[in-house]
Amino acid sequence: MNSWVLRLARPIGAVSLTIIAVVSYSAIVVRAASLPRVTLNADSIGPRAIEEKTGESVTRDYAQAWRDLADALATNRNASLNDYFTGIAKARLNQRIADQRNSGLRTQYVDHGHKVKALFYSPDGGEMQLVDQAQIEVQVFDGQKLIYSTNSPQKYLVLMTPGADRWYVRSLESIPDGVLKY
Amino acid sequence: MFRTIPKLWLFSFLLTLQGLAQSVSVQAPADASAGSAFALKTTGGGSATLYLLGPNHILKKNVELGGDLQIAGSDVSASGMYQAVVCFSGECASKEFYVRPAPPARLSFLVHPSRVPVSAPNAINATAIVADRFQNTVLVPTPVEFHFSLAGTVPFTRNQTTTRGIAWLQMGSTAKQGPLEVAASVGDISEPRVIRQVASEACGLRMSATSNARNVRVQTDPIRDCSGNPLPDGTIVSFTKVDQAGRSTVDTPIKKGIAAAQFSVAGPARISIACGVVLGNEISVGGGQ
Repeated sequence: MNSWVLRLARPIGAVSLTIIAVVSYSAIVVRAASLPRVTLNADSIGPRAIEEKTGESVTRDYAQAWRDLADALATNRNASLNDYFTGIAKARLNQRIADQRNSGLRTQYVDHGHKVKALFYSPDGGEMQLVDQAQIEVQVFDGQKLIYSTNSPQKYLVLMTPGADRWYVRSLESIPDGVLKY
Repeated sequence: MFRTIPKLWLFSFLLTLQGLAQSVSVQAPADASAGSAFALKTTGGGSATLYLLGPNHILKKNVELGGDLQIAGSDVSASGMYQAVVCFSGECASKEFYVRPAPPARLSFLVHPSRVPVSAPNAINATAIVADRFQNTVLVPTPVEFHFSLAGTVPFTRNQTTTRGIAWLQMGSTAKQGPLEVAASVGDISEPRVIRQVASEACGLRMSATSNARNVRVQTDPIRDCSGNPLPDGTIVSFTKVDQAGRSTVDTPIKKGIAAAQFSVAGPARISIACGVVLGNEISVGGGQ
């Protein structure tokens, strides 16, 4: 199996971020100390095949998006959503954060990783649909009081679109098991 | 001692009863739709705090336990997983449930490219994403009709059914140039787009020459593609002359369907013509054609 390792290092504030992407024909993995682990499987994508570089970008940018999402929901500050979210996904997260702030709530994510399967890549390269089996512990606090927690796997239907230098999460919809039976 | 045992039993029984009376649970409907009101059922009694945690919304309010808690449609506009949480006396009970998308009401329709040569195979891509009125992706397979019309030709339709909310097709451009109107429709919802079909490469590129002692004037026949569409004015045509003086090229735009150029010649000369990737005929002057 052909595989190789890509290392990127760039400073984020005072912290140096290292991304290690292990690429093979069938799976792309992003691991970093400050990024959730994302594994992309594009074996059944269609109608267009995914290029290796595109797969790396999607994987890295999706991981960054989840890091930003977790940060925004934990701090109730939405500035970090500008980098990797757009469209309805961004609008919904902004609304959720505004509601959390007004209600005195916050949501803490402990992200144990995402198994992402690429399902659709349009022939013109303008949209990519993915399904994400996420392993996330979620805790919701009202002030200091824990009101809800779960660590059961959660599935997401994701639509990503390319921008000038990155892929954006345009739609992020949580779905139950079985809803994608079609 | 035997007298105290029944008292203890009675006391613990009352505590249990009290606990049962205060135990809280919340039940969500098995089938909830985005934008539609529904009720959460609760058990227990007394005042509690209800939290509805959704993808785009948090509802927090005081409620009375033991009955139905009405949830407005506006509180569940986003489809996805919701958590209903009821907290009472420091204890919280929760129920996760799914709100499915409402019926189709919107189409995101992307067509690529906006300009395409005629008769180009698999050149046109159309992708339609079906959503409800709240922009939730409609996951139920939905028929989408792609309608194509171009002035002077017979309109035609292609049908596709969505998979996970997406319907797409790829097709070649038609043979006639002009604005190709493409519309994606689901029920009464329709999203139109226009692709400009333009003439393809020149076909049968030919020129003729007239000359006097010093000059040669070359002029093309009307320049058309292989489907008979005239190439647009402004398209560059290159005339190249080779004679004793060397090589000389004139790039000139098509005007009113034809292109023309004039050369000074020194002795016998050969003149060739090209337009884009297409080469035309070659003419010899000064030494007989």
